[in-house]
Amino acid sequence: MPKVSAPPDANTGRRRGRRVTTSLAEINVVPLVDVMLVLLIIFMVAAPMMQKGIEVKLPVSRRADKLTSVRPYVSVPMSYRTDQRVWIDDEPVRADVLAERMRQLMESRTDKDVFLRGDAGVTLQELYEVIDHLKAGGVQNVGVTAQPRAGQ
Amino acid sequence: MTNFLRIKLSGAVLLAASAVLTAQQPAPPATSQQPTSVELRLTGESGTPPRLAVPDLLALSSDRETQEAARAISQVLWDDLNFEREFALIPRDTYKSIPAAASIEAVPFDRWRELGADGVIIGTVQKTDAGIRIEMRLYNVRARQSAFGREYTGSAANPRIYAHTMADELHDSQRQMRGVARTKLTFISDRNKEAVLATVEKRDVKEVFIADYDGANQRRVTINRTMNLTPSWSPDGRSIAYTSYRTGVQDILISNIFAGTMESPTKGVGQNWLPVFSPDGTRIAFVSTRDGNSELYVMNRDGSNIMRLTNNPAIDSTPTWSPTGTQIAFTSDRRGLNQPQIFVVNADGTGLRQISFESYADRPTWSPAPYNEIAFAARTGPGFDIKILGIASGETRQITFGEGSNESPAWSPNGRHLAFMSTRAGRSQVFTVDRDGRNLRQVTRDGNNTMPHWSQ
Repeated sequence: MPKVSAPPDANTGRRRGRRVTTSLAEINVVPLVDVMLVLLIIFMVAAPMMQKGIEVKLPVSRRADKLTSVRPYVSVPMSYRTDQRVWIDDEPVRADVLAERMRQLMESRTDKDVFLRGDAGVTLQELYEVIDHLKAGGVQNVGVTAQPRAGQ
Repeated sequence: MTNFLRIKLSGAVLLAASAVLTAQQPAPPATSQQPTSVELRLTGESGTPPRLAVPDLLALSSDRETQEAARAISQVLWDDLNFEREFALIPRDTYKSIPAAASIEAVPFDRWRELGADGVIIGTVQKTDAGIRIEMRLYNVRARQSAFGREYTGSAANPRIYAHTMADELHDSQRQMRGVARTKLTFISDRNKEAVLATVEKRDVKEVFIADYDGANQRRVTINRTMNLTPSWSPDGRSIAYTSYRTGVQDILISNIFAGTMESPTKGVGQNWLPVFSPDGTRIAFVSTRDGNSELYVMNRDGSNIMRLTNNPAIDSTPTWSPTGTQIAFTSDRRGLNQPQIFVVNADGTGLRQISFESYADRPTWSPAPYNEIAFAARTGPGFDIKILGIASGETRQITFGEGSNESPAWSPNGRHLAFMSTRAGRSQVFTVDRDGRNLRQVTRDGNNTMPHWSQ
C-alpha cells in the first residue's frame, strides 16, 4: 500500500532495482534453444543408426544358405583312395563333380576361400588332386587345416 | 519454462517422426512370387533361382538323325532356359561323370543332387513313321518326382522348335513368365553382296531377313534388289512391313511371309517410310512427306483412313506404339537443329509432349508391359549408345558404353531383352542384350546386319 501511494519520483532507484530482479527470475531461453536444437540434430542423426540393432525374427528355411562369412570345409577322408569321394561340410560328393559344386558355392561369395581338411593318411598327391578340383571351381585360397592333437 | 517444454516436446515429436521414417525405409526385400495354385514348382535354395541340369535326351532309335536330334534339342533347351536367367543352368560339360538315365522313369537322382541340381530335364526322342516323337520331363531332384512334362510329335526337319516350345511352356508353368524362345528377329542385311555385283545405281542393295531369336535359321524374305530398310513385324508374326526403294522412291511395302504375297498400302502416294504396326495389328504408323514436310501419319493396314498426327516445320520420324496402342513416341528436332529429342503424342494427334532431354536422342522403342520404358539411341561421343528411359520415373539409364556404335534398339515381346545393331565386332551386326545390360549375345555374323525388330 505505501508503495502504491508513494510519489513516483521518490523511489526511482528502488524501481530500477526491482526491474533487474524480475528479469533475472526468468530463464534465459536463447541458449536453451541452442542446446535443444543441437541435441535434436544429434538424435536425428543417431536415430537411423540405432535402427541397425532392430530385432528381427528370421524366417525359417529348411535349406537356407550358410552365412557367407562361414567358409566351407572340404574334407578328404581316408576312404578317398578307394571311392574318390570327399565331403563338402557334411555332404559326401564324388571328386568329379567337386569343381562344379565349388563353382556354385563361390558364385555368391566375395571371398573365394575354402578350408581343406585331409586325413593324416591321405597322400600329398591325393590332396593335390582335390586342390586341383577346388581351383577349377574358382577357389582362390585353400587353407589346409589340422586336427588338434587332443582330439585323437 | 513453457518455452523449454514446448521445444522439448516438439523435439520429441520430430524425433519420433524421424524414427518412424527410418524404420519404414528398409523395405522388405522383394521375394519371388508365391505360387498361386497348388502345383509342383521347382524352387532354389533360399530365394536363389533353381539350378537345372539338361543332359542329352535319350535316343530310343539308333539312326543318326534321331541321335543328333537328341543332342541338339537338349543343347537348344539349355540355351533357351539360360537366356531368360530364371534358372541357374549347370554347364553341360560337367554331366560327363553322371550315367545316363536308363529310361525316362529311372533317373539317378542322387548323382544329380550331388552335382547341386534342384531339377533335371530328362527326355526321350523316338523316330516314328511321320517324324519324331519327343517326351520331356522336369524332375524335382530332391523330391524325386516329376514337376512338369510334355510330349511332342511332328516333323524331324527342325528339332530346335521342340526345344523352343518346351522352354516357353516351362517358363510359363514354373516361373509364370512369357519366354521368347519361339520369337523371331527381322533385320536388314547386305550379305548376298548384290551391291557389289549390281550396277552403280544399285550399290545400296539391302534385303529383309528373318532369323530365330537366337540367330538360327537365318532366311531371306525380300528379293527386291534395291535398298530395303526398317522392317517391322505384324503382331501375328505373319507379315513384315518395311521401307523399300523398289519403285525408285521410298515407299512402304508389306510382305506376307507365309502367303508369299506383297502389299503396297500407300499405293504410291508421296514418299512414305518407317512403318510400324499398332499392337492390335489393324493400323500402321509411318512417316511421310506427302504434305511437303516429314510428318507422322497413321493409316489402317489396308491404306485407308490416313490421319496426320503432327504439324511442325521440323522433321518428325521413327514412330513407335505404346503397348496399349493409344500413344506414339517419335523423334523430332523441333527443339533445335541437330538436337533431336523423343516426343510422345496420342494416337489421335493430341497431347504432344517431350519426354527426353538428352543432347541427341533417336530411334525410340516402347517396351511392352509391365516395364513402361522407352529405349533409344543417344549420341554419347563419336557413336551412339543405348539408353532406357522410364516413362513414369523420368530416369534414364545406359546399357551400352561406347563399345562401337550401338543403334536402333528393339524390345523383345516380354520386355526383358533388347535387340540392337552394334559395330563393336567390326562390321554392323545384330546383338541382343538384357534390359539390365547383361547377357550380351551376337546374333548375326555374315555381312552387315542392321535395324533389327523383334516379333511378338
